[in-house]
Order: sequence, then structure tokens, then C-alpha cells
Amino acid sequence: MSSEKKRHVIPGEVITSGPYRAEQNTIQLGENIVSTIVGLSDVHDGSVRVIPLTGGYMPQDDDLVIGKIVSHSSLSWTADINSCYVGMLPASDVFGRDYSSSSDDMTAKLAKGDLIAARIVNSDKTRDPLITVSGRELGKIDSGELVKISPNKVPRLIGKRGSMIQMIESSTNSQITIGQNGLLVVSSEDSNGLLKAIRAIELIEEQAHVANLTDQVKDMLESKSE
Amino acid sequence: MGGRDTDIVLLDENGIRCDGRKVNETRKVTIKAGVLKNANGSAYIEFGDNKILVGVYGPRDVHPKHMSDTDTGILRCRYHMAPFSVGERKNPAPSRREIEISKVIKEALEPAVMLKEFPRTAVDVYMEVLQADGGTRCAALTGASVALADAGIPMRDLVAGCAAGKAADAVILDVNNEEDQAGQADLPIGYMPNLKKITLLQLDGVLTPEEYKQCIEIGIDGCNQVYEIQKKALQDKFFSNGEKQ
Amino acid sequence: MSDGLIIDQLKKTQILELLQEGKRVDGRQFDEPRKLSIDIGVIPKAEGSARARLGDTEVVAGVKIQPERPFPDTGDKGMLICTAEILPIAHPSAETGPPQPHVIELARVTDRGIRESGMLDMKQLVLEKDKSVIGIFCDNAVTDHDGNLFDACSYASTAAINSCKIPKYEMQDEKPVKIEGEFIEPPITTLPVSVTMAKIGDHILVDPTLEEWGIMDARITITSNSDGNVVALQKGGSDGFTQEELIKCAELSIKVGSKIREIIKQSK
Repeated sequence: MSSEKKRHVIPGEVITSGPYRAEQNTIQLGENIVSTIVGLSDVHDGSVRVIPLTGGYMPQDDDLVIGKIVSHSSLSWTADINSCYVGMLPASDVFGRDYSSSSDDMTAKLAKGDLIAARIVNSDKTRDPLITVSGRELGKIDSGELVKISPNKVPRLIGKRGSMIQMIESSTNSQITIGQNGLLVVSSEDSNGLLKAIRAIELIEEQAHVANLTDQVKDMLESKSE
Repeated sequence: MGGRDTDIVLLDENGIRCDGRKVNETRKVTIKAGVLKNANGSAYIEFGDNKILVGVYGPRDVHPKHMSDTDTGILRCRYHMAPFSVGERKNPAPSRREIEISKVIKEALEPAVMLKEFPRTAVDVYMEVLQADGGTRCAALTGASVALADAGIPMRDLVAGCAAGKAADAVILDVNNEEDQAGQADLPIGYMPNLKKITLLQLDGVLTPEEYKQCIEIGIDGCNQVYEIQKKALQDKFFSNGEKQ
Repeated sequence: MSDGLIIDQLKKTQILELLQEGKRVDGRQFDEPRKLSIDIGVIPKAEGSARARLGDTEVVAGVKIQPERPFPDTGDKGMLICTAEILPIAHPSAETGPPQPHVIELARVTDRGIRESGMLDMKQLVLEKDKSVIGIFCDNAVTDHDGNLFDACSYASTAAINSCKIPKYEMQDEKPVKIEGEFIEPPITTLPVSVTMAKIGDHILVDPTLEEWGIMDARITITSNSDGNVVALQKGGSDGFTQEELIKCAELSIKVGSKIREIIKQSK
């Protein structure tokens, strides 16, 4: 089966009909495969999906996310992960299986308002997703600036095989931790570099749908202006 | 529905209505998507002299928790009129009319919104009427669909709203305020244009079976026209290449 | 919404560090308000209206005018009531239902700011003493919340009332009757303008954003009139101001207020 040209679609619009598999953001209604959101339809190898242009973050297993601690019980912390579901970080993830932690122990490790880099462990929708901070490059975030973008712009920010994000990091001397949930932490020794990196990110968020975005970003990074 | 005595000529001998329209013409409709900074999705609609601002939040956590459903998300709708939106200042507290309209609009949107995708959450739709001139519930419903799409809430179809009615013994499309006060029937309709299903329907007034059929037919036609404006609003925001949103 | 939004630690640290250097996150000076734009007549069917955009905060004020029975002890004066509501569209934590204390405070401070200034000469709004007077309602609806609703509501209200058209009424058979198509100009005596300042540590910041509001120790809203006099005041927040700070705040409010007053005048 051939691939069709990507099309702009809105909810309810028929993308195609016939023997296709209805995948992300589409449903099968009779013979037709219909879009359920505003986005770009992608027909490929017998399946149809729509790449979203708007919408919030839905937790997926193994996603790296940036979260903000909002509360805790004696057994776990609750983190705002910029989603309709909150992330649950079990105390055992930080203290080990058998440690019985007091409230002071909990707050000393992670307090309300602290930012963390975490991974989604279990995104079953019937309960709040479990997250973990044990792992390479996970844990409390002590420095850097938090930037928020639309979660569906994250793929554009990363670029093909990471090309876009690497271009920004190397030309501004900064490190950018990207959460799939649209939250990013940008840090740099160079305060000008930091500003430039943030402006590049803002440019991508604004112009994500434009064809020559990579050139626009490259020009912006190379210009000498503030 | 008034059937009130009026000096206004609702329909003259040339088939022209009190605001210059023909019997099968809707008022001017414009919609802009994404007008609020904080809401997840939003739309501003002008339907004739109706001015309505809609904001959507969600899917999001439900408080109190007992209101949430483990199997599905829930839809909550609030239709509310600003005190300055009508001729005589309205008390800001929700009236019974607003509460009923909120429910009717919720039930008009539910068939379209795919709530099972988000168990234990709520999608909140807030419709604020800033200026009212007859047919606010259809206009609010129309704006709500655009705001939901703007927020990225998955839907099977959009829902478009338009009222049909009867004034001066003629079946008319898109009843304005004077026609609502002094006319003979008002039939607001909510319609899913691709699935071809009516999801909002009410009647105030008296129609013969033939007039009822005509009203539904002309009303669906009106909804289809309104749907084109909804599409345009979303296209203008999301698909205008290279232009500033 | 609860005034206790959880600001993340990084942001809080960033704001405080910048303040130590004499800077604010959005690059403004400490005594600089955000960009204000005012559009009047946005609700043509109301007797007056204005939309105020203060940075990303947006408020729509609508004025409705109708004959009312006067209050028993002021039969020789018209009525003026201002209200304010934070619409649920304005912020994720804005709630529906009966107004919470901070929303009631917003409404009452807005009302006092307009009324205590004597903005309208209420004695000129009497149709028949002790029986029938002109009642003016100015209702504020906050449509987008990025902090400092006190000032946004003040500006929207002042602009809406300043540009309203009062229908002409005549007493006929002891009842007020509207004369269609005839209007009178509102009897404006002064233009009240409020300026809200947040205190963070020892720093006083004019027109706080929602983030600054979230970490402030205390705040004060001071309303001044066209003569440069202070006409209304409200202090809020859990900390206190020193005497010197209060004097500085009044000076700031009069200075910044006069510039805002020009913007409101231009909008008519």
C-alpha cells in the first residue's frame, strides 16, 4: 500500500476508507478511518495515525519526564508531571525496600516544590502512573531553568536522531534535559548561552509547523545579536 | 416564547426579516480559536450580536474524588451569562435557566467527546455569554466544540449549533432575539455534521408536523453552514503556514 | 483559586536571585507596570464596557444602568455598585460556586476604589428624591489571570464608567420611563486608578505577575484620584510593611497611577 501525502485534519474528518488499521488519534467508523484531533494525518504501511498539533501529555512507559513534587504521604510522593494524571513516586524507590521513612525523612529527600527528572514505570490508566528516580541522570534537579513547551512539540525539539537539540546544546554551551511531558531544564555556565538556548526553544514552539524551521533556528543561533 | 405583540415587522411582503435577512439565512458567524492564555483550549464566537467566550480545561484531576469515574472521564459544562450580557442586568448567581442549558449542552457534546480515553479525569467546558441576542445556547455549543478541539480533546466529530423557528407564519433559520420574543416557535439544534446525528434538540412554541420537518431540515442546513466556520477557525489557528498564530 | 499556588523551587530561587541584582524575570523595573491596553465599547448593548489587558491578565467590565429605589438613608443620591468575578476560564484553579474570600475581597476593593473616590457625582443621578434614582452596576469578569487582578479590575471599571452613556429617564405617573435614543453624559468628577505592589523581602514591586504573587510576603493596593490624593487602600498577605515602606508605596502609587490615568483617558 502506498503512503498518502500528509494532510491537515480536524476531529470528525475522514482520512481514508478501506482496509487500513486505525492507529493513534484515529477511529474506525464503518468503512472510514476518521481523525479524532487537530493534526497531520499519516497513512503508512496500511495504518493510519494523526500526529497531534495540540493536546496534553499522556504518560507512556519509559518516558523521561520532569516533575514537581506537590505532596507526600508516608509511602510515596506525588508529582505534578504536567498531565491529567499525577506521578506516584514510592518511598521505596528512594529509600530502599525495607526502610520505614518518617515524614521528616521524606521532606529531607524531596520537598514540596522540588523538581525531579523521572521515568514512567507503569502507565496503566486505572491508577496514577508510577515513576522512578533511580537511574542514570534521574533524581532531584538542583539547578537550571525550567521551560515549558507543548508536549506535542517535543519531537520537533529533539529533531531527527537528536539533530535539533544537539545543534542547540553545542552552539549555546548548554545542557538540556527534555521531558516527554513538555517540561525541560536548561542549564549553562554561560548566561548568554542560556538565554539563546531558551530563545531557540521558544522559536521551535512557535514555528514547529513551518518547513524551514531548522534553518530558522540555525540562523538565530549563529547571529551575534543578543 | 412570547408571541408578544410587537411593533416590529418580523417578515415583510418581500420575505425580508426584521434584521434584513431572508428566511433561510443565518446571521454572521465568526470564530477565533485559542484566545486565552491559561485555558487548555478556548474559542471566541460572535453569532450575530451574541458574543461568547469558551474555555476548556482538561482532561484533569477531579475534585472531590468521589465524583470521578474509574472507567471513564466525565464532561462538565457550565453555561453562564455575565450580568451585563442582557437588557436588564442579570444577577451573577446561576439561574435555573443557565443550569438547564448547561445540562443540555453537556448532553449535546457527550456523544462527540471520547471520554473513555481518560478514566478518572474530567473535561471542563466553561461558556461565558458576554452579550446575548437570541440563540445563545447554539452559539455556546458551537464555540465549545472548537474550544475542545483546540485543547486536543479527542472527539468523534465536532458539534455545530443553529436554531430554526417560526415567525409571522413562516419557517425561519437562526432565530434572533426579537423573533424569539415575538415569534411562534424556536427550535435550537445541535448537530454532528460528519456522523449526521442531532445531539441537541428543544422546542418552545407550536409547529405543525410539516413545519417541524421543515425546521429540522433548514436547521441542519444552518448547522452545516456553521460547521464550515468552525473548520475555518481551527484551520486559521493550526494550519496557516508560516503565519503568526 | 487558592492563593497558595505551588511555585517550583527553581523558579523561586531564580526570582529571588534576580531581585538581589535589581532585576525582574520579565525584565521590568521594580516600579514599572506591565503593558496596559484598554478597549472600550466591547459590549455594545451594555450602557458602557471596557476590556483591560494588563500583561496577560484580562478583565472585561460591563456597565448596566437602570432606575432603582434609593438606599433608605441616601434618597438624594444615585446608586453605584461594582462587582468582580474570576471566571472559571481564567485559570485552572478558578472555581465555580459561591465566591471564595479572596474573590469577595477583589470585588469589595474594586467597589471601594471606585466609590470612595467620588468618581461619579451621585447627587446628579436622582430622578425623584427618596423614590427613584439611577442605579449603575459595573460588573467585572476576569477572563485570564496572570496576577494583579486588583489593578486590572480598577482600570476596566474606570474606563467603562468613564465611557458609559446614561439613558435619559423621565418620571411619568410616579414611574421612571426611558426616553429612547436620548442619553446623558456620566457626571465624572475624577478618574480613580489603583496600583498594587508586592513586597518580596525588602523589595517593593509594582504590578506583580502571578509568579511574583506566588512568592510575595505581603501586598498593598493603593487607589489615587486625578488630584493625586489617596482614596482607598488595602493591605494583604501574611507579612507586614514598615512605615517607610508604606510612604514609599503611596508615592509610587500616585506616580505610576498618573501615567495609567493617561492611558485610560486616551481610551475614550
